[in-house]
Amino acid sequence: MDAASLTDRYLDAAMRTVPERQRADLSAELRASIADQVDARIDSGEDAAAAERAVLTDLGDPDVLAAGYTGRVLHLIGPRYYLDWWRLLKLLLWIVPVCAAFGIALGQLIAQAPIGTVIGQAVVGALWSIVQVSFWTTLVFVVLERLGHETMDAGRWTPDRLPLPRERGARFGDLVVSLVWLLLVAGAVVWDHVLGLAYANGSWMPVFDPALWPWGMAALFVILAAFAVVSVRVYQRGGWSYGLAAVHGILDVILFGAVIWLLVEGRLLNPALVSALTDATSAEVPRILGVLLGLGLAAIGVWDILDAVLKAGRARARS
Amino acid sequence: MGDDETLDTHLQELRRGTVVLACLRLLTTPGYGYGLLEELAARGFATDANTLYPLLRRLEKQGYLRSEWNTDEARPRKFYRTSATGETLARSLTADFRAIADAIARLPEGD
Repeated sequence: MDAASLTDRYLDAAMRTVPERQRADLSAELRASIADQVDARIDSGEDAAAAERAVLTDLGDPDVLAAGYTGRVLHLIGPRYYLDWWRLLKLLLWIVPVCAAFGIALGQLIAQAPIGTVIGQAVVGALWSIVQVSFWTTLVFVVLERLGHETMDAGRWTPDRLPLPRERGARFGDLVVSLVWLLLVAGAVVWDHVLGLAYANGSWMPVFDPALWPWGMAALFVILAAFAVVSVRVYQRGGWSYGLAAVHGILDVILFGAVIWLLVEGRLLNPALVSALTDATSAEVPRILGVLLGLGLAAIGVWDILDAVLKAGRARARS
Repeated sequence: MGDDETLDTHLQELRRGTVVLACLRLLTTPGYGYGLLEELAARGFATDANTLYPLLRRLEKQGYLRSEWNTDEARPRKFYRTSATGETLARSLTADFRAIADAIARLPEGD
């Protein structure tokens, strides 16, 4: 290979990313510097071709050298924006895929898609939203890194920005709140059976299927009592443990699973109420209400399980 | 192996600013890329060509160096010379370097 052509090729490669108006000047200077270095090596007895090769090897990747001249950044997202990018991406990835999956599942259920399709579409939607959110967030920060220099600056960090201590769910107030909730649920169920919580066709009637009494509702009270025991244990221990979170999660799965199963089977709601609703509106209304109710219950159940596990994780991280 | 690498990194970090100071003081007499590279090496400021050449451009852009093409010789070369603001910068860098050297001399010596 011709030695002169190697320098030419190096200069071509290095000048590719240099702005037009600096190119001639930089290229001439770099060519002279390379020639000087090559001459020095030849004077000390090296072969011309080997000298050329050695000098260019020392100069290294022409694009890196050019970046040194032009101040071009050689990273996608540098330290200036990295943390902002990472925090925003984490936040969005907590919110968007969940909302996307939930929305898609809701739409598919209302459209009466088979359950396999509902799950498949929701999973595909969540994955697709992860790809989209990651790509566009990153793209915005890559552009900011190259153009915007002051736009993202949220000012100097001060200790006021430290995150507040997070809920551990172990104070006396937490215990009272959860016990009151359980009593309210139990009270509402009894009230519903005795007096009725729904008003239709000029009279009060129960929302829940009276056929669930006594055994179905007895099972509900047992589960509510078990929840109460877990709450008391959490308060006594001074925090959640993974064991308590697991018991709490199993109770959630039994309770919400049973309620949703009964809903799907058409055995949860009072048939008299459903037929009254169908008469007053159309058959579609109870069905869509059922879908909304079922998904809402599923979302609450999942959140309740996650909340306990997260609190257990925090309690462990602290001790 | 790893120890040598971290040692090199620390030495590089310690020397980084001194090359700027050496360039500003040497270029009170005009010089060109390769000639300066040799002189720096001879005076104990060993520098890589791919560090020095972009550095000269940067200092010129910041106004600490002036440049001029010399076409008198067979090989045209770009000559750099320290500007007035460059000399001021060199003086404050030198003063700061002395202050650091004094401060280091007063540090407790572990043996």
